Amino acid sequence: MVRHPDTPVTGRATMLRRLARWCLAPLPAPPVALRRGPLRPGVFRSRLRSTRLTGQLGVALGLMFGICFVTGLLSHLIQHPPGWFWWPARPVGLYRFTQGLHVATGLASIPLLGAKLWSVYPRLFSWPPVRSIAHAAERAGTGVLVAAALFLLVSGVLNVSRWYPAMPFFFTAGHYWVAWLAVGGLLVHIGVQLPAVRAALARPTDEPRQDGLNRRALLGGVAAASGLITLTTVGQTIRPLSGLAVLAPRHPGTGPQGLPVNRTADGAAVRAAALDPAYRLWVVGPGRRVGLDLAALYGLPQYTAELPIACVEGWSATGTWTGVRLRDLVALVGVDPRRSSALVESLQTGGRYRACTVPPEHLRDPLTLVALRLGGEPLHLDHGYPARLIAPNRPGVLQTKWISRITVPGTR
Amino acid sequence: MRTRTGLVVGGCLLMAYAVVGALTDADLAPAGVLLFLAAVLVGHDVVWMAAVLTVGAALTRVPPRCRPAVRTAAITAAAVTVVGLPLALGFGRSADNASVLPLPYGRNLVAVLLVVAGTTLLACVVPVRRREAAADRKESERPAEGRP
Repeated sequence: MVRHPDTPVTGRATMLRRLARWCLAPLPAPPVALRRGPLRPGVFRSRLRSTRLTGQLGVALGLMFGICFVTGLLSHLIQHPPGWFWWPARPVGLYRFTQGLHVATGLASIPLLGAKLWSVYPRLFSWPPVRSIAHAAERAGTGVLVAAALFLLVSGVLNVSRWYPAMPFFFTAGHYWVAWLAVGGLLVHIGVQLPAVRAALARPTDEPRQDGLNRRALLGGVAAASGLITLTTVGQTIRPLSGLAVLAPRHPGTGPQGLPVNRTADGAAVRAAALDPAYRLWVVGPGRRVGLDLAALYGLPQYTAELPIACVEGWSATGTWTGVRLRDLVALVGVDPRRSSALVESLQTGGRYRACTVPPEHLRDPLTLVALRLGGEPLHLDHGYPARLIAPNRPGVLQTKWISRITVPGTR
Repeated sequence: MRTRTGLVVGGCLLMAYAVVGALTDADLAPAGVLLFLAAVLVGHDVVWMAAVLTVGAALTRVPPRCRPAVRTAAITAAAVTVVGLPLALGFGRSADNASVLPLPYGRNLVAVLLVVAGTTLLACVVPVRRREAAADRKESERPAEGRP
């Protein structure tokens, strides 16, 4: 049976077809008299702009944003783990790598985003501004993507330079949700521009030689800018390059006991409590609790571990920590440390990071310490004196300082 | 076409997830996020791009042989300044924490910009010198050309 091509299709298909027709129907053009200023034809004359340049910058930027999104999402999941999420204790420096990569990639994306937006800037003034409902939606989507991409890079730069008052929102939450917005916008953009992306990746056939040379020179300039940013900042996490890190917000060797500090004892308002001679570290199990003063803590078997502090802001530095294994402390209250988690609380009375949960894989790891010493000396007050948590492969914000209490809910 | 539709639909779903997530996150003031989104968009498209286009127009006056090097320098200087200026302004410094922003960033930023300028100058001058030297060599070789 041959169906007549004009046979009306009923139901959902018809509705979809009607909707598509309505979305693509041409809208009346605005009066030509409104075509002034940058809307006039031929205003943007640079011969450097080309579809191929835009496509190539877009592919590079998409890769960079992809890396940023995956590493950033990972950091978020480690800090706010849903039930299905699992993060290992080894390799020791994995988080150091992923978060260092996150910040380095974000910083290196700045010239790429700048060049990409420059290359498409004339399209902002295309005429007519809106050809159809679908065109309007596409333009609005591009606007959201551009705003979100700028938001992420600008807020990221402000965060690493700790210029928080310039951001009228809580950075971590804003950066996280806008990242989802940017990735969604990016997928829509790739979907719309896929033919142009494919053409950008294909070899050119009709590009004049001089245009090709100019395009490559511009791409080289953008790469040089990204390279210079990386060279002058990445030493904040790659120690051998720290001498070149003249624009790094942190220097791995600068800080009390040769290690940077994120939150000081005075900033956390714990000075008096931390220096109180009556200090006790309480380990609380399901059926027993133990209070340990400093002498008792030093009386327990001491272990030393070389572990990094890896900050969410992208810097990291390795310290030599000495103290009691967390699993030994948990065993004191009769809990099997191989299958238990622990809530580690600080002397801080408030604040977002006053407590953290140590999952079983970190708790049972022999490198996870309640550190009492750094580099052989008692911990500096700003590093968490009298006792702090230090565990492998964890963000710095989860290495709770000035520990007052370890609660073990029992074997899981 | 199916791939493109999938990307567009998937992207729209992720954007909707972002909006719902932001609106239901107790830690987030959506008005502040919206304000910042608008500010960076307008700041870039109006202020920043006006400056970039002005510099770009000025670059057309640079001799063509130097133009790629100067353009690279301009891109690099702009990008490094975006990263370095908030550090140099130092609003993030903390009175009780010397490990935050510990370096003299203003001086360092100027030094990096001077290195960029110096490298650009070399990139412009050295090829000219080489060309002149090559021309000189040709001149000096010319009398020998007629010799047996």
